Amino acid sequence: AAAGALRRAGWRLWRGRAVVRCQHYPPLRALQASAVLRRVSHEHRKEPLTSSSQQQFDSQPDGHQPEQEPQGPRPSYTGQGGQESEDYESEEQLQHRILTAALEFVPEHGWTAEAIAEGAKTLGLSVAAAGMFHSDGSELILHFVSECNTRLSELLEQEQKLVQLGKAEKKPTDEFLRHAVEARLRMLIPYIEKWPQALSVLLLPRNIPSSLSLLTSMIDDIWHYAGDQSTDFNWYTRRAVLTGIYNTTELVMLQDSSPDFEDTWRFLENRVADAMNMSNTASQVQSTGEAVVQGLMGAAVTVSN
Amino acid sequence: VYQVFESVAKKYDVMNDSMTLGIHRVWKDILIHKMNPSPGTLLLDVAGGTGDIAFRFINYVRSVREQQLQRKLKHHQNLSWQEIFESYQEDKSNSLGDSQVVVCDINREMLKVGKQKAQHLGYSEGLSWVLGNAEELPFDDDKFDVYTIAFGIRNVTRIDLALQEAYRVLKPGGRFLCLEFSRVSNPVISRLYDLYSFQVIPVLGEVIAGDWKSYQYLVESIRQFPPQEELKAMIEDAGFFKVDYENLNFGIVAIHSGFKL
Repeated sequence: AAAGALRRAGWRLWRGRAVVRCQHYPPLRALQASAVLRRVSHEHRKEPLTSSSQQQFDSQPDGHQPEQEPQGPRPSYTGQGGQESEDYESEEQLQHRILTAALEFVPEHGWTAEAIAEGAKTLGLSVAAAGMFHSDGSELILHFVSECNTRLSELLEQEQKLVQLGKAEKKPTDEFLRHAVEARLRMLIPYIEKWPQALSVLLLPRNIPSSLSLLTSMIDDIWHYAGDQSTDFNWYTRRAVLTGIYNTTELVMLQDSSPDFEDTWRFLENRVADAMNMSNTASQVQSTGEAVVQGLMGAAVTVSN
Repeated sequence: VYQVFESVAKKYDVMNDSMTLGIHRVWKDILIHKMNPSPGTLLLDVAGGTGDIAFRFINYVRSVREQQLQRKLKHHQNLSWQEIFESYQEDKSNSLGDSQVVVCDINREMLKVGKQKAQHLGYSEGLSWVLGNAEELPFDDDKFDVYTIAFGIRNVTRIDLALQEAYRVLKPGGRFLCLEFSRVSNPVISRLYDLYSFQVIPVLGEVIAGDWKSYQYLVESIRQFPPQEELKAMIEDAGFFKVDYENLNFGIVAIHSGFKL
């Protein structure tokens, strides 16, 4: 019993170190055949088949391949079964894979634990693996939103590169904003039927911090790529305005039944135009105000003379 | 341990109710809710003699299945009468959606009581009763989706062996759930709990089941059992990931959960 306690204590230290090193070195228990996490390395070769079908399902029209991040950090498997190696993915990576697989089942089952269970099944895991996540599907939705934001960033980055290389023209701000918001909202199209459910889950108090931070970082990204360099109060107003545009357009999209959501894009165009006008109007009001004041001063001087 | 349960088998349920003032039903319900099984789940309930967990599991899966079917029917707006008839046929024969429970216990008497209860309450499908030892399960590897052991792991002599067996028979991605009496950290509650355990429970045992010694043993074994963190470490030792525990009633009872990943 003492030996067992010592072993456990020693192992806990080891695990503590492992955690500090961000799980680069798998804990001792890896030697005891972690059934799925190691098997994942085996399936590294088979992965491209399943993930490419995933990519086809939700790839953008401009054909750029979304990054499947679980594959990236994993170095190639050097196949010596049971040896200590850095091929083990962490639990988070496995959870990411399960959630990505689960997205396929969302149109049928909604954003629920059922969809996650089906996703786990396609990865060869038991349906009980869905117990790792909350039963209302919050993690699935947050995962999806963060994936969409990542895809949007990459898209904007690529376009920026094209502009820098001189292969494309820089768009004026309003057109850029319209393009970015439209691209981001189009990612919702495959899930549009169940999206209202997702929005309501995102508004649960438990999820609000995460969903809010995802939203603000996305808006930030868009403005960054739009070339916003402001360091004054404008920074806040710009983001507030764009957040308003994005949210209202999203809501319009939910009840839009026109072909290819034309009504939504027209609504978006109008809102962006409004926003541009508003900033013009603001400066106009300011200059008009100044002119009026000057006029009054002039009149006062004249009268006094 | 065997003789203890042989003698208590018949009065087991009654004693449970009186000892815990009926709260054990709530604990078991919470366990099943936490499991959130979907239809098609294969459950192994070890040391589940009188079938409490098994019956709750079946009820839960049945209601989930009904909801699923209702949702499916809502989508089928424009079917012909023939198609509707066919879908009713196939669904009626599948009210559990292929879920199954295997109840395993080391004690024949407990299993007998369980089978009788099942018959009495009308549970006919999806149940199997197997005699077996938690330290050496008579099942193949990678078979079950969920493994539960409710108030049973305390009675296993080599807990680590039982955990290893649990790991072995679970499918990859499978879940281990353990409901057991545990340590109360709150000093006030702890004192009241001790008082109740040592004074009241053996007396109840004598009055209801005519067996002071078994219930004395029970209360002492609870005190001897490793506390939450230690059990968590043992579960991790066996190879489970994402091991976590949830205290119910200030730690009187705890649910430990781990995944075979």
